[in-house]
Amino acid sequence: MIDAISTLTSQFRSIRGTSEVSSTTAATAIGMPQPVGATSFSDVLADVAQNAVSSLKAGEAAAITGVQGKTSVQNVVEAIMSAEQSLQTAVAVRDKVVAAYQEISRMAI
Amino acid sequence: MIDPLKSASAIASSGLEAQSMRMRIVAENIANARSVGPSAGADPYTRKTIYFSQVMDRTLGSNLVKVKNTGLDNAAFQIEHDPGNPAADASGNVKMPNVNVAVEMADMREAGRSYSANLQMIKQARSMVAMTIDLLRSS
Amino acid sequence: MQPIFLLDLVSRHANWASFRQATITGNIANANTPGYKAKDVEPFTSVLDKTHLEMAKTADSHLDIRSNGVRDSRLNGDETWGVTYSGNSVTLDQEMLKAGEVNRVYTLDMNIMRSFHRLMMTGLRTQG
Repeated sequence: MIDAISTLTSQFRSIRGTSEVSSTTAATAIGMPQPVGATSFSDVLADVAQNAVSSLKAGEAAAITGVQGKTSVQNVVEAIMSAEQSLQTAVAVRDKVVAAYQEISRMAI
Repeated sequence: MIDPLKSASAIASSGLEAQSMRMRIVAENIANARSVGPSAGADPYTRKTIYFSQVMDRTLGSNLVKVKNTGLDNAAFQIEHDPGNPAADASGNVKMPNVNVAVEMADMREAGRSYSANLQMIKQARSMVAMTIDLLRSS
Repeated sequence: MQPIFLLDLVSRHANWASFRQATITGNIANANTPGYKAKDVEPFTSVLDKTHLEMAKTADSHLDIRSNGVRDSRLNGDETWGVTYSGNSVTLDQEMLKAGEVNRVYTLDMNIMRSFHRLMMTGLRTQG
């Protein structure tokens, strides 16, 4: 499942030549750390997906150590919840991007 | 490294064990409060005592409690004059156990209170863990 | 205050509360051990100040009392309600009061986390 989401990352990075609008406000709205300097929108999308992947992996690792009894229950629950949040973020972003692409493709030329 | 709530349960259960051992000793003392010796002039039942000590558990990183030892109280026996008693010596005095039932009853009440306090801690640790796990449920 | 910072704060507070619960349980279990002095953890505000400096060093997996900055210390005479003849300074009622306080604080933290989590999920889920 995590590999399928990794393809999101590569798809985002392949969106080249789209708007080069500075996207720092978008990044703050999602709650991601501010990228240094003005970056392209595609980089922000890639960061969102990458963040989802890494927090899913962290959630998995926390669940494994939780089952082994090495960390506290609170840790496991928090890791899983933040994995849920970042996955939901990535999915919402992807849906918006896909919807925007479809709307553009529907434009009469 | 260790879950503090899990170590709290372990500590409280060591407390339960210690307090129930204490109640056993107290019950033994009360039951034998009038037990004289087996033969004439022999020593009667000696009051038992119990001592706790703190034990540092490295794996849990926490301080458990353990029964260090149970001992005998070396207070003097009470002498009663009862010539008809089979354990009476030549002058008709019987040595009775050095158990004061009022003291033992107070000790038992204390032990009961400590036991229920430890039990309450187990319940609280368990409810805190359940609350945490419950976070994952509804979303 | 961004919700992300709040969640981090609440998580640290809940962690501190569970360490306090372990310390209180140790006090109650040792309520009859001669010579045992009651312990308590340092207040959360001082933990918070220290973690601002130590945030780089603290790894999430190290949660024992010593390395998380939540140190426990002996309570001195005027903080406990009395010292018995055997040198034991634990008062059961005082410890039970503290435990009730810990319970209240932990419940609050968990409910805050639940509400904000639900908030974020709902906010992300609209207009699929």
